[in-house]
Amino acid sequence: MRERSYQALSLMAIAAIAVGFTVATTVPPERVQGEFAKIMFVHVPSAWLAFLAFGVTMIGGAAWLIRKTPIWDRVAAASAEVGVFYTALALMTGMIWGYPVWGTFWDWSDARMMSTAIMFFVYVGYLALRRSIPDPETRARRSAILGIVAFVQVPLVYFSVTLFRTLHQGTTVVRPDAPIDPEFLRALMINLAAFTVVYAAFMTWRTRLARLEDELEETEAVADFEIAGSGITAPNLEEAPDHV
Amino acid sequence: MRVGGFWQQAKEIARKDLLVEGRAGEALYITIPFGAVALMLIPLAIGTDRPLLAQVGPGMFLAVSLLFGMLVAFRQTAADTPPQQELLTLLGTDPAAKFVGRAATSTLLLVVFEIVLVPVTILLYNPGRIPGWPWLILVLAMLASGLALVGTLAGSVTAGLRTRNTLTPLLVAPLSMPLLLGSAQVVEALKQEQSILLWITLLATMNLALAVIGVVTARPLEESSR
Repeated sequence: MRERSYQALSLMAIAAIAVGFTVATTVPPERVQGEFAKIMFVHVPSAWLAFLAFGVTMIGGAAWLIRKTPIWDRVAAASAEVGVFYTALALMTGMIWGYPVWGTFWDWSDARMMSTAIMFFVYVGYLALRRSIPDPETRARRSAILGIVAFVQVPLVYFSVTLFRTLHQGTTVVRPDAPIDPEFLRALMINLAAFTVVYAAFMTWRTRLARLEDELEETEAVADFEIAGSGITAPNLEEAPDHV
Repeated sequence: MRVGGFWQQAKEIARKDLLVEGRAGEALYITIPFGAVALMLIPLAIGTDRPLLAQVGPGMFLAVSLLFGMLVAFRQTAADTPPQQELLTLLGTDPAAKFVGRAATSTLLLVVFEIVLVPVTILLYNPGRIPGWPWLILVLAMLASGLALVGTLAGSVTAGLRTRNTLTPLLVAPLSMPLLLGSAQVVEALKQEQSILLWITLLATMNLALAVIGVVTARPLEESSR
C-alpha cells in the first residue's frame, strides 16, 4: 500500500468515529436507563470487534501453519493486539455502565463479564508469549498454535449469556424479534460500521509496522554477522613514513 | 526405528518423569508443603471467624489446588534439557506420546497433592459434611487431569524460553478457569442438593478438549523447540 492510502484510511477511521459519535448523541435517551444506555454504542461494537479480531488471529495462525509466509503471522499478531484493545474497551465501558444501572462495577456471578475477563487475559498471555520468543519462525509457530487454542474462548464468551442465566442481558440484536428500538438499533449499526473501519485502520498500520520491524531485525542481523577477514584492513601506503 | 508403540512410549516417558521427580522431590517435598502453608496463611488474611472459614474452606482448597497445582504441572523436572530432547528424538519418540506420558505423571502428582491437602483443609477450616461427597473424588480427579493437561500444553508452548517460569502461569491461569468454575459449582450444587450433571459435563468436556489439542499440537510444538 502507498503512503497516501494509509493516510486515507486513517482519515476514514476518524470520520467514521465522528459520524458514530454524532449519531449516538442525537438518539433520544432510553426510557429507563436514560443517557447511560448510550454507552452501548461503544460497548457492543467493541465486544463484537474483539470477537472478529480474535477470529482473524486464529485464521492468521492457521494460514501461517499451512503457508509459512510471514504476512499471516503479522496479521495474526496485529489482530490479537487490536482485539485486546477492544476487549479492554468492552470491559471498561461495561463497568462504567454497570455502576449506575446494576449498582456495581463488577458482578462476580455474571458469566459474560467473567468469561470476557478470562478471554482478555488469555490474549494478554498470547502477546506476552510473542514478546518472549526472539526467533521469528519459533515465535510464529508457537503463537499460531496458541492463537488457535485460545479461540475456544470466543464461543464460550458469546454463548455465556445463553448457557448461564446471570445478570447480563441475553442475545438481543441478532434475535428475529429483537426487543430494541429501531432508532437505537440504527445508531448501534452505524457505530458498529465505524468501529469496523477503525479496526481496519489499526490492522493496516500495525501490520505495516510489523513488516518494518521484521525488515529492521533482518538488517541488524546481517550487520551483526561478522564477515571472515573483516578485522584486516588495507595498508595505508600513501602516508607511509619516509625512511630514506 | 521407533521404540515400542504409542502407549508403550507414553508409559516409558511417565516412568522416566516419575523417576526424575522421585530423585529431585520438587513437587512432593517443596510444592506440596508450600500449598499447605498457603492454606494456613489464608485465615490470617481474611480473619479467623470459624463459620466464615467453614464456608470458604472448599473454595480455598480449590484455589490453592489450582495455583499451586500449576507449579506441580510445569515443575522444572518436567522440562527436558536439549540433550534429553535430542535423545528422545533420536529414539523416535512420538511427541504425542511424550505429551500423554508427561500429562499422566503430572496428573498422578496432582492427585497426591490433593490427597495431602484435603485433610489439611478439613483440619484447618472444618467445612462440615457435604452431602454426596463421594462425587468430589471424581471432581478432584478431573481437576487434577485437566490442570495437568493444560500445564503440560503450556509447558510445551513455553519450552526453552527464558521467561518460562513467569509466562507459563499467565497462560495456564486463565485457561484453567473453567476447571475451577466447574469444580466450585459441583461443591455448591452438592451443598444445595442440586444436579451436578452440567458441571461434571463441563469438566469432562474441558479434559477431552485439552487432551485432543495437546495430542494434535504435540508435533508442531516439538518441531519449534528444536
